[in-house]
Amino acid sequence: MSDEPVDVLIIGAGASGAAVAWSLADTRMRILCLEQGDWVNSAEFPSTKQDWEVQQFKDFNIDPNVRAHDTDYPINNDNSPITVVNFNGVGGGTILYAAHFPRLHPSDFKVKSLDGVADDWPVDYDQLEPYFALNDRKMGVSGLSGDPAYPPKQPPLPHIPLGLVGETVAKGYNKLGWHWWPSDSAIISQPYEGRDKCLNLGPCMSGCSQGAKSSTDITYWPEAIRAGVELRTRCRVREITVDDNGMANGVIYYDPEGNEQHQKAEVVVMACNGVGTPRILLNSRSEQFPDGLANSSGLVGKNLMFHPVGFVQGLFDERLDSHKGPQGCCILSKEFYETDLSRGFVRGYNMQISRGAGPVGTALQGLGTGNIPWGPGHHEAFEQRFDHVASIGILCEDLPEEHNTVTLDPELVDSDGIPAPKISYTMSENSRKMLEHGLARGEEALKAAGAKEIVAGGPLGPAGWHLLGTARMGDDPKNSVVNSWGRSHDVKNLFIVDGSIFVTAGGLNPTSTIQALALYIADTMKKNLANLFD
Amino acid sequence: MSNEENMITTDNPLNKVQQKKLASLLDVIIPPSNDGRLPSAAEVDLITYLQTHAADFMPALVQTVEDLDDQFTTLERSERYPIVEELSTTSAAVFGMILFHVYACYYQDDRVHQAIGMESGPPFPRGNTVETGDLSLLDPVMERPSMYRRT
Repeated sequence: MSDEPVDVLIIGAGASGAAVAWSLADTRMRILCLEQGDWVNSAEFPSTKQDWEVQQFKDFNIDPNVRAHDTDYPINNDNSPITVVNFNGVGGGTILYAAHFPRLHPSDFKVKSLDGVADDWPVDYDQLEPYFALNDRKMGVSGLSGDPAYPPKQPPLPHIPLGLVGETVAKGYNKLGWHWWPSDSAIISQPYEGRDKCLNLGPCMSGCSQGAKSSTDITYWPEAIRAGVELRTRCRVREITVDDNGMANGVIYYDPEGNEQHQKAEVVVMACNGVGTPRILLNSRSEQFPDGLANSSGLVGKNLMFHPVGFVQGLFDERLDSHKGPQGCCILSKEFYETDLSRGFVRGYNMQISRGAGPVGTALQGLGTGNIPWGPGHHEAFEQRFDHVASIGILCEDLPEEHNTVTLDPELVDSDGIPAPKISYTMSENSRKMLEHGLARGEEALKAAGAKEIVAGGPLGPAGWHLLGTARMGDDPKNSVVNSWGRSHDVKNLFIVDGSIFVTAGGLNPTSTIQALALYIADTMKKNLANLFD
Repeated sequence: MSNEENMITTDNPLNKVQQKKLASLLDVIIPPSNDGRLPSAAEVDLITYLQTHAADFMPALVQTVEDLDDQFTTLERSERYPIVEELSTTSAAVFGMILFHVYACYYQDDRVHQAIGMESGPPFPRGNTVETGDLSLLDPVMERPSMYRRT
């Protein structure tokens, strides 16, 4: 393993790390990415096995504390009703994500101007639009143009099938006169760039054996590696080191054998998500940076935003074949996305219609609600529910609040002895009202669609997929960590490209926007190579 | 009780008597369907499932089974039901876990999958057919003016 200095060192091979590596590769600089996890083998994904649902309980669990692979780090969620879920490996969260791929709306970048809350972003939708489009092409996104909820856009592939679930719920939305649209999905509906199309396996959220789900291990990374980027797996970064001038000069990491290594670099790019990035920055304390690196604003680790998620589930008389097709991608509704203060809250939420569970999931949900009893009547109750369910996820915009934090746990450490992150989070009154509103509207929609029995609840606990805001962007170094193109205000050769730089969260799945931002930052770096550190 | 009945084999941590009691318990939790299409939970391999996915739970299961009266296996299902119902209240936590694992084990079984209308085998590479859907349903949405806020 070479320890020669590199030009650019990227920490993390997930959604944003892959995009920035691919984009920077054409500079012919020496680029190295350190990833704490492994490559995944799609032949090992649960959907290749008879016990595909049960495998999600442990090895493919979305919760790193349950999965507990040696490539995972523990997370202290004791002070949060929402727990962090993730995946550590090449592809990062895109390995287990649902691939629901909406973009933030233009209004999401202007919340202060439009609604008087939080802050505007230092970039806007129009600036990012070319990068959204580029990312859609690189990842392989399926969708339908013409959605009135967005400015014009053209997904490169036809939308994924609505199926009986989509059609049934869409009819309910039509009865109410509400907006709905086939979801933009990072799942290829047609053969694309050497990958074969979606087979409608179902369990996207435990990895896609077909390779139709656009995770970055099969989209950006093969191209980036062919272009000369080096990717080292099982290399866990402990801290970023600095020179006497306060510039980053590399990282200390643990190699696959657990040996401490120092990798020198001219530029460090962090792509570790909204929990991993503040964790490393806060652990990179030095005499020059006693409060952690890039933290003169005191905002590293603050303003953590999740998307509080509620679920509304409807039971239908007719069979919906709901276990077939992409689990989390079907249709969506933006009817309540934009601010309307008459609803009692500011900002809004996305309604994500998803398909039903497989047989194990159906049985266990029924066990939990008491709807599928043991003993006599078991089979009848199961038969009424399996493949007869449609769900609506309510994904609420969380506004930034400084008391919602990622800090270093004083005791808990990972297998290399690095302090674990500790989450402290409370849901705001605004988010609570929004969630209540969304649950009620979800019930209304499913009732209109013909559901005979509806259950609703939230916020869901293990739903902290979207980790945002903990190293926010901004023009003013006093109230932001990085500038409008991801460069640290304090350390001019340190960049952050993951969800931590979000100023606000929007009310929808952020991966599309995270990657568009990463491409935008990489492009801006390339345009400013001559004076990158000025 | 014969020595053979008390023997614990390498593959199965339950002796023969315990195995019979477990089968009688599982047969109450999920009985076969009246039309014979769906098997009883006693016919799926809970032990292998637990050894693979939840070995930590095995001691609690063995103890629960051991605590059942020897006569339990000789009773009709309808006679066993009230005994299991009592178990569900006196040992609620353990019984809840038993139900969790029995349901999970049962509904991953290929015979059960076929009986509930699924195709045999894991989802990949077989896949599923899902209809594209009727896009004319979008007509009223397409007639709407744009609804995003200009900035």
